[in-house]
Amino acid sequence: MDIYPIGTVRKLLTTDAVTEPTRKALEKRLSETENYQPKFFDAAEFALLDAVCRRLIIQDEDVEFVNCAAFIDKSLSENESNGWRYDKLPNDAETFRGGIGGINETAQNKFGAEFVKLNESQQNEILTEIQTGKAAVKTWMTLSAKLFFEELLAKAVEVYYAHPFAQERIGYVGMADASGWTQIKLNEREPREPEKIGDSAA
Amino acid sequence: MEKTSYGDSAEFPQIETPQMRRYQTSETVDAVVIGTGAGGSPLLARLAEAGLKVVALEAGKYWSPAEDFATDEVAQNKLFWNDERLSAGGDPVAFGKNNSGIGVGGSTLHYTAYTPRSHADDLRLNTEFGVGVDWCLSYEDLEPYYNEIENFLGISGFSPYPWSEPNRQKYPLPPLPLNGAAQLMERGCRHLNIKTVPAANAALSENYYQKNIGWRHACTNRGFCQAGCSTGAKGSMDVTYIPLAVSFGAEIRAESFATNFEFDGAGKINAVVYVRDGVTEKQLCKNVFLCGGAIETPRFLLMNDLANSSGQVGKNFMAHTGIQVWGQFDEAVRPFKGIPGALISEDTHRPQNADFAGGYLLQSIGVMPVTYAGQVARGRKIWGEQLRECMNRYNHTAGINILGECLPSDENFVELSDEKDARGLPKPRVHFTNGENEKRLTKHAEKLMTEIWKAAGATDIWSFPRNAHIIGTCRMGTDAESAVVNEKGQSFDIPNLYISDNSTFPSALSVNPALTIMALSLRTADGFLESSMFNV
Repeated sequence: MDIYPIGTVRKLLTTDAVTEPTRKALEKRLSETENYQPKFFDAAEFALLDAVCRRLIIQDEDVEFVNCAAFIDKSLSENESNGWRYDKLPNDAETFRGGIGGINETAQNKFGAEFVKLNESQQNEILTEIQTGKAAVKTWMTLSAKLFFEELLAKAVEVYYAHPFAQERIGYVGMADASGWTQIKLNEREPREPEKIGDSAA
Repeated sequence: MEKTSYGDSAEFPQIETPQMRRYQTSETVDAVVIGTGAGGSPLLARLAEAGLKVVALEAGKYWSPAEDFATDEVAQNKLFWNDERLSAGGDPVAFGKNNSGIGVGGSTLHYTAYTPRSHADDLRLNTEFGVGVDWCLSYEDLEPYYNEIENFLGISGFSPYPWSEPNRQKYPLPPLPLNGAAQLMERGCRHLNIKTVPAANAALSENYYQKNIGWRHACTNRGFCQAGCSTGAKGSMDVTYIPLAVSFGAEIRAESFATNFEFDGAGKINAVVYVRDGVTEKQLCKNVFLCGGAIETPRFLLMNDLANSSGQVGKNFMAHTGIQVWGQFDEAVRPFKGIPGALISEDTHRPQNADFAGGYLLQSIGVMPVTYAGQVARGRKIWGEQLRECMNRYNHTAGINILGECLPSDENFVELSDEKDARGLPKPRVHFTNGENEKRLTKHAEKLMTEIWKAAGATDIWSFPRNAHIIGTCRMGTDAESAVVNEKGQSFDIPNLYISDNSTFPSALSVNPALTIMALSLRTADGFLESSMFNV
């Protein structure tokens, strides 16, 4: 795994390398889930979603945490659409509420406990069963487990990699483009672009 | 506006939108144009230049890119047509960012600016292969418009273009610089003896002067074309044909969602009904140009049961085969920089010994992180540690993509569902399944692109099958029995209704559609101006 320095994007946000609309968008993202209270899910559902997101998106312990569950809850509460959905799925609200319930039902059925009470490897097992359509509990008879999982995963990664903390980890500073880029060929780098500072075993 | 020189970039003159003329809704204008994308904008300018009173209705906002566009994928979701569509069939098509746009400029606000021409044989697919359909017009009919549009937009491209029809004009501007992904594709293709050149893009490699608009600034390699150009370097309609139309007296009425027509006793449209700020208004008019794209145009007609004596409205929905192959490289690529589709090959336009009809083009692709992460999630289906490792190598990632033929099929169509959207209108349901031809073509392309990436030194190669662009659903043809409009875009059923967008394409073409949509748009305008309809 490549390691990039922490704080690069946040530092660039304080400079002229970032346009005003870009700064506004990213600063909002940095603060908008502080002290977040769920609006779409109830507390138990939200705790479950948070546990699921922590299995889907592994975050480094040495950097601030991106609250993916909060971004997902917020998007659902605002009825945000990405322009399409699988015809086989009900609307987003029903898909996500139903699917979150289905995760718990699958956990109860297999391990006799709520999803949040399971250890990491048990949680991974439950999620894999759902992703591959092997979980056979009532929820998944009317809701496609595979498609629900795809939607959940896509939403989780999209909110995560839109966040400056995640972008810093992968060495992305494309937002710092107020003056454009001139060093665009292979191995070319402009001074404001970070270089990796090391490798770690994954 | 007639500036012929400029200082350094800090003082570079911005594109000026001239004072816009306004029309009363009670005034009978010569034409209402619905939609301001690649189908609506060129003809709007043409009609206005001819002295007609024209009003364009656009569902979305009139953006000021420098103030409104962030280099942030999530913030730019506002450019996508996000009214929910239901994707059905064996290969459900992704919409939103993958396809239609909203706002003055339509989907050109987020098109990649890739502007290859169609080939003469693309328009004669049935003659050549015995499948698909021939167009009712020829390459020669489109060529003068291709010439005009390339010069007007300032297309950057390589001349002489190796895969062109004879005696093709040069691109007005030299190619844009190649980025890392393009260099890698060039390297892989060289090993396999596949010819490549820098691709034609509607983004300026040099500062460019446009009559009645002023100077547009050269591209700064932001690489963000698919989520909005903030500098005006990309030839989206909002910085080209729209200001041209406005300079000739057209009105752009933004945030106006057209819902219906009113008719006179003789069966001609005499008003367009639309909703603005929650209020229903109507604009009196003599003619209508419907330019909503291959989902919204048939949806409008189906909702109002119009122009469908052929039964063809909504039929033959097509979406280009567009499989992508991604790889990771030792070199740093930093795939967010430079024009995303920088390199092209059309050696595969008619591959030898192919087991399918038609062909495809190859292009190198850069990508933004959120888009890439979403594709990794849906395509590779990895999460947890595997996902983290894959995304951790984002800066070393590059892709190749095809844009290939898709045959019309009875199985693929747009219909109205029972589910209502936020506007209270039925959501469209879009049925799409790749047929045998699309599957064979995709298999051929996947194998070839994988070989190219291996030859270029890629590891961790993976494929993301997808279909892109929305095409068909109101096909043009020679008779009212089998087509919705004639070759000029005029409805067979309603004489003062014209359609100008990707919905009229009888077949998909093996190239990106934008340039051809614009060419048909100007051709429709010229046909209209020559006809007696103008003098109604």
